[in-house]
Amino acid sequence: MIEKTTWSIWHWLLGAWMLVVVYGAFFYAPTAQGFVGESARIVFFHVPQAWVAVLAFCVNLWASLRYLARRDPLDDARAAAAARLGLVFCVLATLTGSLFAKVMWGEFWNWDPRQISIVILLLVYAAYFALREAVADEERRGGLAAAYAALAFVTMPFLVFVVPRIYFSLHPDTLINVRGEIDMDGRMLQVLLAALVGFTGVFIWLYTLEVRVARVLMARRRREENV
Amino acid sequence: MFAKEVRSELRARVAVNAIGLFGLTTLVAVAYQIGPYQIHEQDRPHLLAALLWIILFFAALSGLQRVFVKEEDAHTAKTLRLAASPLAVWGGKLAFNVALLAALETFLVPLYCILMRMMVQGILPLIALLAVGCLAMAATATMVAAIIARAAGSGTLFAILAVPLMLPLLVMLIQGTRMAMTSPAWGDILPALQGVGALAGVTVVTSIYLFPVVWHD
Amino acid sequence: MSTVRITFSALGKRFGAHSVLKGVSGELRPGCAMVITGPNGSGKSTLLNLLAGVMRPSSGAIDYRQGETPLPRHLWHTVVGMASSDMAVYEELSALENLHFFARLRGLGRSPGELERLLCELGLEARDLRRPVSTYSSGMKQRVKLAQAVVHEPPVLLLDEPSSNLDERGHETAASLVKRFRPHAALAVATNDPREMAWGDERIHLGQ
Repeated sequence: MIEKTTWSIWHWLLGAWMLVVVYGAFFYAPTAQGFVGESARIVFFHVPQAWVAVLAFCVNLWASLRYLARRDPLDDARAAAAARLGLVFCVLATLTGSLFAKVMWGEFWNWDPRQISIVILLLVYAAYFALREAVADEERRGGLAAAYAALAFVTMPFLVFVVPRIYFSLHPDTLINVRGEIDMDGRMLQVLLAALVGFTGVFIWLYTLEVRVARVLMARRRREENV
Repeated sequence: MFAKEVRSELRARVAVNAIGLFGLTTLVAVAYQIGPYQIHEQDRPHLLAALLWIILFFAALSGLQRVFVKEEDAHTAKTLRLAASPLAVWGGKLAFNVALLAALETFLVPLYCILMRMMVQGILPLIALLAVGCLAMAATATMVAAIIARAAGSGTLFAILAVPLMLPLLVMLIQGTRMAMTSPAWGDILPALQGVGALAGVTVVTSIYLFPVVWHD
Repeated sequence: MSTVRITFSALGKRFGAHSVLKGVSGELRPGCAMVITGPNGSGKSTLLNLLAGVMRPSSGAIDYRQGETPLPRHLWHTVVGMASSDMAVYEELSALENLHFFARLRGLGRSPGELERLLCELGLEARDLRRPVSTYSSGMKQRVKLAQAVVHEPPVLLLDEPSSNLDERGHETAASLVKRFRPHAALAVATNDPREMAWGDERIHLGQ
């Protein structure tokens, strides 16, 4: 367990960092070429959110597999916490994405392959919680949810990598484009990288918070049972 | 295991009836309402491929989800759990689902081609695609069916869990079918065939590891 | 036949906020019959499910030993025979087909004659063995369930209210089954029937 003071130092640093990211996103980064107005600035929030949604998915898989191997209820709580945060960031990424779509392409929803991908990720997260809701036995719930997470994880690459490349996509090139080069203004890139680090920090902070809550709840239940 | 599944099914005929009738009803509805002449020539490959897989997909969902739920409903799941190794159960159920789906495809696809006047240039590529598609769909459905059998409200849950997992598969299958309709060359259908094949393989391998967990929890 | 010993300690099982079983310990030894008693809902069936490995405990541990070597969880089912009210056989198959199927699943090469003898020993008539189980009375079904539990001569036998649905003659059948297994198998019977309680060498009473 990390000490309390270290915790609060990290906590404040994260806040300061995010302030810098927000300032940078609006004032430091130049206006991007080829986009309507200032719409490109949303990239500094949209891309990190999508990244965190995927990161949370990976953390969920890691915790799920650990649960299957060791059957520690805390690992199940970890998996659920990661999925919960993943769901939130997935919704945020979808919303910011469709705002951008409205400005750039005139419609909130274009059935663009990338929009479909993120919505399916959203559906997977939703299904994961629907499954958890439907199982009363906690030991069984953990196992089934972990199995579903693993199954979803192995099918997702087909979505992210196979589907968008077959179709024509309106989506701007991802950070690293098809030619394998980074095609972005230097200052924009700095802000984007800073935002990625910042959002990852936010995820880690919220995630550890959730896990601590789960730990406390479990300890309390154990105490109650032993009374 | 597979032999028992087939024998049970032949006596009860729940899944065969469900799947066959569902498939037939949707096919008739689609063929009657849309018919072969309502679609413009340039839209045909696109729409016909999509409609075919939508019919197959929903007919399959109605039947495949029953494999494990029926064991839980009849209270035979626990007896089975204590008698058999998980892999034997999984293998039997998967084989049964593959057989069920293959039967559905052989019955529905030719009928669809006739009713909708669907001309297929690459018949062999399409058959290959149907075969791997059958395996991939059955493998995913078997795993999801095993998961939901142990949860409450399994009927609705199956669709919720299976649809996001099967969408990539469905998209690849529709694309492949479109290719097979317009061109006889294997090269055109190969990307879809590879994608579906890889998905089938990945799902089967994962299931071998995951099924014992799901089955014994 | 190898013998199996099961020790369990501080077993607990929770369903949501509801705790069914709390801190139960004991041991199943070969040659010893344990009777598990307690009012409805006190967790008798849950305890048997945990011991058979079809359910995971919320707390506590179960240890299987075959001779001296520990047996991993995924092999428990090979040494266990179990009959309970929530374990049915296939209604659309006949008694003989059912038994043949379960014997095959366990990798046993039992001949139809052997299977028929076992079913008759448990009180079924030879002429009934070939019609679907769905046409049987509940007492006859119970006998098929018992046959399924012992077809592989298991070193561990778990029975949940074995003579429910059985008449006086059926009770005697169950009693003779217990008598046959008792010398060499580890036996647990969950029951509130005083006649069945008399089978036990040891007793666990569950309840508040």
